[in-house]
Amino acid sequence: MDPVMILIIGYVVIGGLLASLGAHLLPVGGAPAAMGTATGIATGTVQIMLGAVLTGLFTAATVATFTNNILLVALSGAIGATIMLDVVMFMANILYAFGCGVLPISGRVDVDPITKEPQAEYKTPQTDGHGVPNVVFVSGTIGGFVGGFGGALMYFALLNYAHFTAGTAAVASFSIFVANAILAAYNIRGTIEGFHDPKFKRLPKSMIASFAISLLAGIVVVLAALGLGVI
Amino acid sequence: MLQVVLLFAWMLVIAFLAFIACTFEDIESDIGSQSNPNSQVQLAAQVGQVNRFFNKAISGEPLSNAMYCVVAGTVVWMLLVRLEPLVPGATWKAAVVAIPVGVGVAALIHMIFSTTAHCGRVSAQKRFEQPIYLDVLYGHLLPIATHGFMTTFCITSIAYIQSNIGTLSGNPQLNHPFALPLLGFIWGITVGSIGSSTGDVHYGTEREFQDRPFGEGKRVVYHGKITRYADCGIRTQKDIAGFCAKFGGPCTGMTFGLIILFENWRTLVGMLLGGFLPDLPVFTASGDAAAIGGIVMGLLIVAAFVVGNLVFVKWVRKKCGPFVGV
Repeated sequence: MDPVMILIIGYVVIGGLLASLGAHLLPVGGAPAAMGTATGIATGTVQIMLGAVLTGLFTAATVATFTNNILLVALSGAIGATIMLDVVMFMANILYAFGCGVLPISGRVDVDPITKEPQAEYKTPQTDGHGVPNVVFVSGTIGGFVGGFGGALMYFALLNYAHFTAGTAAVASFSIFVANAILAAYNIRGTIEGFHDPKFKRLPKSMIASFAISLLAGIVVVLAALGLGVI
Repeated sequence: MLQVVLLFAWMLVIAFLAFIACTFEDIESDIGSQSNPNSQVQLAAQVGQVNRFFNKAISGEPLSNAMYCVVAGTVVWMLLVRLEPLVPGATWKAAVVAIPVGVGVAALIHMIFSTTAHCGRVSAQKRFEQPIYLDVLYGHLLPIATHGFMTTFCITSIAYIQSNIGTLSGNPQLNHPFALPLLGFIWGITVGSIGSSTGDVHYGTEREFQDRPFGEGKRVVYHGKITRYADCGIRTQKDIAGFCAKFGGPCTGMTFGLIILFENWRTLVGMLLGGFLPDLPVFTASGDAAAIGGIVMGLLIVAAFVVGNLVFVKWVRKKCGPFVGV
């Protein structure tokens, strides 16, 4: 087996695993968060993950036109996704505070693990927290970074090792990412706050599933590249 | 030097278009009740709250917006291929015709999907005695299509500018490697995911439950019990659009505008600091330096937001204090 094939499969698997890890770190609130009934970003796991990673992918594609260093391209994508998520979480807090009079409070912990601020007495009864408190914000920042890194890594591998065109590499890496994000969403089942959430302990199962699907995707990418005669 | 100035100028145009796009996207989703708070409209009839709300959750906002933008982008791209050879030296004339026509096609598809989604969703609630009000259906189609038109128009314009940014600023080498429809897809997904995650809060938490206490998260016991009466008469989504346009829409627009601004700005500043502009020595040390510059600028922006959130959460907790209701 050609070393470049192993390299492609390896990068796709790493990218897929990072996508799964990133999705678990994101604070996903779904429909309850849109009513201030749960903590996190008021949309689904896959939707916010896609928005963040595609923003990162756009910058990564620009950077990949002037540097051929894989780390720099992947980091550019990671920072792009992180900026997207940070702005979204910050503006959501502004909307909660000034538009609805709701405070950012975690529903899963009594004391914020980072700032040590008490949470329980600020929370509305019969809700699961609301807004984006600090620990959730930090978790989301890390999740965006990890997910964006994975997406950009796959893009670079497909562009420069499998020799796909820029458009094909973007669509293929994005598609592999979607598969992993959906698997993570099945594992999360609804809402998650981040690394301090009890649901985060379910991560290993998702990683096994992600490994399997990414390995298969990597093999398909290699077969496609072989079929096209580009490697 | 003119090239660098033009690049920054186009970046600002893109950020402005992004602001408009996401503002209208959020208001469009409020008029059509497409996104997450639609769960309450769906639930309302089941808990006996027969209502006159438009109900068109076709899919998640990112995917539906991506679809409209890709349809528009593909039609525009095909028209450009045909029209650009007719106006050599003035290709912008082709764009002026192609972009509105392509977006118009997407708006028609938007209306078809809205009709089928609303009729399908509401007719499924027959067992809860929720009628399909035809005046609600007809009355909301045009506002939905016009707001959707604005979003798709701005996103397609952004995609056109980005895929031709090098040509427009003097060096075609700087054109983005992605084709126009793919850029439409990327920004369609992103604008939808921002509209879904930020803008929904104002519609869902605040406007749908205005007869509940202000200043608390919506308890599970309130779910489905949406506010059905407006300032005058029975509430429809047209009342909601006016309300959300005052705060939720512009805030959502600013979110997308800031993201586009920061993303493009840090890349351009990195290129400038790394000595990559205006000569563009590709795959050299200065290309690497440009990438590092962009990453460092990005890290500074991220750090500013983390600290900003710390300060904001501390301030708002101090200002509002613990929960005092029952």
